[in-house]
Amino acid sequence: MKNHFNRRAFLRSSSATIALPFLESFGFRKYVKAAEITTPPKRMIWMGMGFGVTADKWFPRQEEAGTAYEFPDILKPLERHRGDLTFIQNLMHRHSQDGHSGSTFWLTGANRYAIPGQSFHNTISVDQLAAETLGKDTRFTSIQLCAKGNSNSGGDGHGPGLSLAWNRSGKPVSGLETPVAAYHRLFSDENTPLEERQARLLEQRSVLDTVMSDARSVKRKLSKTDNEKIEEYFQSVREIEVRLSKEEQWLGVEKKHPQNPVNEPGESLLGYDELFVMADLMVAAMQVDASRVFTYRMPVDTLISSLGATMSAHTMSHFSEGERRDVSEMRDLHIAKFVASFIDKLKASKEQDGSSLYDNLSMTLGTNLFSVHTLRNCPTLVTGGGAGFSHGRNLVMSDPKTPLCNLWLSQLQGSGIKEDSFGDSTGVIDELFLG
Amino acid sequence: MKSPHSWFYLFAGTALISGSFSVCAEEKVMSENDAVMPERHFELFEKYCLECHDSLTEKGEINLEELSFRLIDDIETAETWNRVLNSINSGEMPPEDETPISNEEKTNFLRDLSENMVTARSILSDSGGEITLRRLNRREYANTIEDLLGVRPEVSSLPDDQASAEFDTMGASLFLSSDQLELYLETASRTLKLALSPGESEAEPVVRIEPEEIYTPLYLELAQNLLDRAQRNYAWQATGGRDENSKEFGYLDGWQAGKQLNSFHQYFPQVAKYLDAPETKDGAALMLTIKDGFTQIKLPGLKWNDGGKYTIRVRVGAYEDAPDRFQYLEFSRKIGQNTERLGYRKVKGTLRKPEVIEFEIDHPVGMSATYSVHKRTHEDRGDKNLWVVYRRENGFGTPWGLWVDWAELDRNEEQKPLSKVDEILFERKEAMTLPEYNREVIHRFAERALRGSEPDPGFLEKLYVRFDAGREQGMAPREALIQPLSIILSSPSFLYLVESTEGEGDSLSGQELASRLSYFLWSSPPDSELLALAKAGELSNSGVLKDQVDRLLADPRSENFVQAFVYQWLDMHRLGMFAFSGLQFPDFDNAVRDSARDEVFETVSHAIRDGASLQTLLKSNSVVINDVLADYYGIDGVEGHEFRAVQVPEGSPRGGLLGTVAVAAMGSDGIRSSPVERGAWVLRHLLNNPPPPAPPNVPQLSRLEGEVFSARELQKAHQEQAQCAQCHQKIDPIGYGLENFDASGRWREIELVTSGKRGNVVTEFPVEPAGKLVDGASFDSYYDLRDIVAERTDAFAMGLTEALISYGMGRPFGFSDAQLAHEIVSEASKADYQISAFIHALVQSTPFQSR
Repeated sequence: MKNHFNRRAFLRSSSATIALPFLESFGFRKYVKAAEITTPPKRMIWMGMGFGVTADKWFPRQEEAGTAYEFPDILKPLERHRGDLTFIQNLMHRHSQDGHSGSTFWLTGANRYAIPGQSFHNTISVDQLAAETLGKDTRFTSIQLCAKGNSNSGGDGHGPGLSLAWNRSGKPVSGLETPVAAYHRLFSDENTPLEERQARLLEQRSVLDTVMSDARSVKRKLSKTDNEKIEEYFQSVREIEVRLSKEEQWLGVEKKHPQNPVNEPGESLLGYDELFVMADLMVAAMQVDASRVFTYRMPVDTLISSLGATMSAHTMSHFSEGERRDVSEMRDLHIAKFVASFIDKLKASKEQDGSSLYDNLSMTLGTNLFSVHTLRNCPTLVTGGGAGFSHGRNLVMSDPKTPLCNLWLSQLQGSGIKEDSFGDSTGVIDELFLG
Repeated sequence: MKSPHSWFYLFAGTALISGSFSVCAEEKVMSENDAVMPERHFELFEKYCLECHDSLTEKGEINLEELSFRLIDDIETAETWNRVLNSINSGEMPPEDETPISNEEKTNFLRDLSENMVTARSILSDSGGEITLRRLNRREYANTIEDLLGVRPEVSSLPDDQASAEFDTMGASLFLSSDQLELYLETASRTLKLALSPGESEAEPVVRIEPEEIYTPLYLELAQNLLDRAQRNYAWQATGGRDENSKEFGYLDGWQAGKQLNSFHQYFPQVAKYLDAPETKDGAALMLTIKDGFTQIKLPGLKWNDGGKYTIRVRVGAYEDAPDRFQYLEFSRKIGQNTERLGYRKVKGTLRKPEVIEFEIDHPVGMSATYSVHKRTHEDRGDKNLWVVYRRENGFGTPWGLWVDWAELDRNEEQKPLSKVDEILFERKEAMTLPEYNREVIHRFAERALRGSEPDPGFLEKLYVRFDAGREQGMAPREALIQPLSIILSSPSFLYLVESTEGEGDSLSGQELASRLSYFLWSSPPDSELLALAKAGELSNSGVLKDQVDRLLADPRSENFVQAFVYQWLDMHRLGMFAFSGLQFPDFDNAVRDSARDEVFETVSHAIRDGASLQTLLKSNSVVINDVLADYYGIDGVEGHEFRAVQVPEGSPRGGLLGTVAVAAMGSDGIRSSPVERGAWVLRHLLNNPPPPAPPNVPQLSRLEGEVFSARELQKAHQEQAQCAQCHQKIDPIGYGLENFDASGRWREIELVTSGKRGNVVTEFPVEPAGKLVDGASFDSYYDLRDIVAERTDAFAMGLTEALISYGMGRPFGFSDAQLAHEIVSEASKADYQISAFIHALVQSTPFQSR
């Protein structure tokens, strides 16, 4: 009798019997809808390299603009995709002045000194803008990956920020620092019962409500300027609330795994190996449509040290002849190997309509720093069929100061996002859309 | 003027200031007239630019015909000028097919423009004396939580606030994001858990390690292994040494067989020597092994609940022939993958008469770490590379230096509890009911966390509700407290230094002033004495305030100020930016680099404590060093790890910042000295005459590729181009004057430049330090240059003052601070430029005591 009773109680509380009604109420319909989609969604990826590349070897020669260009030696592994990628030369952010910040303004184009009396200012990054449209129906509005850096030795050349992404108010968005953290965010379900998770959401709301009561009492005491400053606090609370609502929407929906699930990555994965696992995770996340917008602030210091270098990334970036230059070229070569293999995987992964992930996404590899501390001719490589670009070219913009934001705008528009301008853009890059 | 930004209001103030300033003609004062390009430069526009950039053509939307010559008219004007500057600098304008600007015209134009841009930026970034609401930065946040809970929070995931502004105390640049807010909640709750339930340590009172028990068997096995490899190889060779039969002898192929014999020859001599040495029967020599790193004595790991004070005791003796560098023990701890160095102790005992060295450690609550004792280390692969060099010389490898008999970890008997749990959960009086008590716990904690301000009643009420909710869920009282208390530690009243408009006029209230003062000089919240005086209204008494400043400066917490302020003021992050090769600079190891950094802090601390003049930072006949640096500088008679003032011997270049390893190393790229970096550093930080920032995108000098030059020749080449010459004339001579210091701060008469693919070609260039400053002062040697710089203590004083104003008040030093800065300098000059006099004058000033 006792045994029998226990078993029934167990069944009643197990998700098998109660899940369905809850799924209905918490976005299950969305989940069903997602499964029915036949036209594959557009997706976007940006990968930032931090410190710049080996100056005279990374880009194809400018005189060889067009399709008949000699592929750069140090990027050879990418040559097998040459018909599916485009180098774009002469792009830059006119406001960028900071020679150690390859990522801070890369996706924003902001002017650090735009606000008098304030020594740092930033604006929304292109990925976050894209995510506002592309991320509406996915569990994760966007995914930020961000290799653990080494802040002691001059860093990775990424500059201030927590990832490549900056939110609507120009504040840094944090990233997932390790493959294992990304894996759990994307694919691990919590074991805690649904009711408990609901209760926790409720509790988180009460916490916010409590800090807000203090925030309001502080606000009453402040001057006008200080009130503008405390607005950041209010804004942060509002953002957390939005995040909680989204979490609530997806509360009853289990996280999906792709047909060939990714294994849980090791805790200590760093450097070169990390790149490949992060790519696998992005591919898997796209296969189950967990998110459509990804940024990856790539490792530099741990990357070169995993390749056997014994100097810091900053030391490498000042490549003088000899060992420093060798390390810089080796870094470029291995990043090329990684990107080539990433493109292979994107091409191999098929959508329901027979097209591939590659056909529907727009991916950029680059950084705001060209080399050493130079900020013009930002290294830029675009690939993917999602934005409607025609590839296979060494595109050399005639204006050596063409806004990098023109590329971001082209990608946004090409991916179906209705924006007329972005940052300091002056228009789209027409050449990208011409066959 | 297009928009009423804050700097608009400054010009009214300028008129007032200029009156009081006309008396000191020498002082460089920013005025309204400063950021104005002389009209004569319009000729250059007419001659070279207007054809495309006049009001009709406006090519690239640049109209130079109507551009205001007052750079600070508005942001757009300043930006257009910045574009003009950048495009001429980069050689982009005039375009190639147009007439180039003559070098002389270019130099004159660019000099005026770049200097005016510096002024313009400073005027435009002026906050008009307004101090923006300031959030606690990461350092202050950690100190404040530690002060409240007794447990130091782990804050590495919070943004490092030093990246976004000149000083990490500037309110306007201290941001908050939603991620960060969540991190605050998480950090507070994690730390509160540790503080409220710190756990009982299970660490053994004393554990002794006999290293021979670990290392003798280990090296015996290694020796046998190596021997076996060699014997198999010889046996294989006896059969003819062919690839095909190498498998029979346990090799993959002939190549591997050869490689293994090679490793025998490489490593066996050292291991055999070790096992033969009688002292390794009852101890361990600190041998470096190429495979396993170094022989180190690992002490038992300490866990999260083992927080407290410990002593590491090592019985150790030095080998007779050990060079200085090998006579030190290095202490470190490993937390996860990261190693943190804790300190160094020089061993005076010998193999025959070993001594017992004691090293105190504080193990923080909540940290799991393993502590180790070993020899001094280099970064990266320096130690391994050097081992190869030593082996080539002596046949076995790096000298062992020290022998360790045993090491022990002793948990000190008298432990003061670290956690402040007893303060948080104070003793309940009988008259108080339990619910009343719980509320009072929250209330008192909130008051302490809010630095003496009364928390909002509505806020408190909600906190009580959170506590009750936890209790209703069945949590124990301590557990239920965690949420409300972590909410307090994430609330704006805690995270921001709130300065209320509710009081009279602009003056800060007593408590607000107490907070501003203690975060200035301690980077920590005010203590009870300061708060009590604040509440009693005593801080408005200038004598009381002065005593408090002296008390704060004498407190050990003022190290927080010295380290954070000096680090940012003197741009010391450069010290860690480049890796130094162990091969090129065998003596410049981690101990020297760590000590070099501390030397700067300690020099300033000593100067503050001893009431020394600011001038002693520029030139002095004493240095503040420890034994590591004494060895490095070649100064005798310095025993012990404490930093202390030492007389500089006759003929030594040390004494004053310019002679420190730190300043020399910061002005290098880890390989060569950089006269430009050094010159710019001196102008920026000592002479208060900052050069314009290096222009981005200047073309590289390709003409010099593949040739070998002295640093001086390289700089001369830079000056060939007009756009470079105008600034470098000012910067470079100072850098040449410091060329007697190599990248690692060693004195040299000859510069050695290595080149070639393997770095094996060495070219010698004699150092030529003589030069001339732009104002005409000439010098023949480093010593002359140091004298010239030291004569300009006024300029140095102004630089320090500007930095103190920015750091202490939490806003950029601006145009409108000129009068304040001048008053502080003149106050300090009356006290012979004592460093504390600057701090007193700032704290006593009206702006410091106002919102």
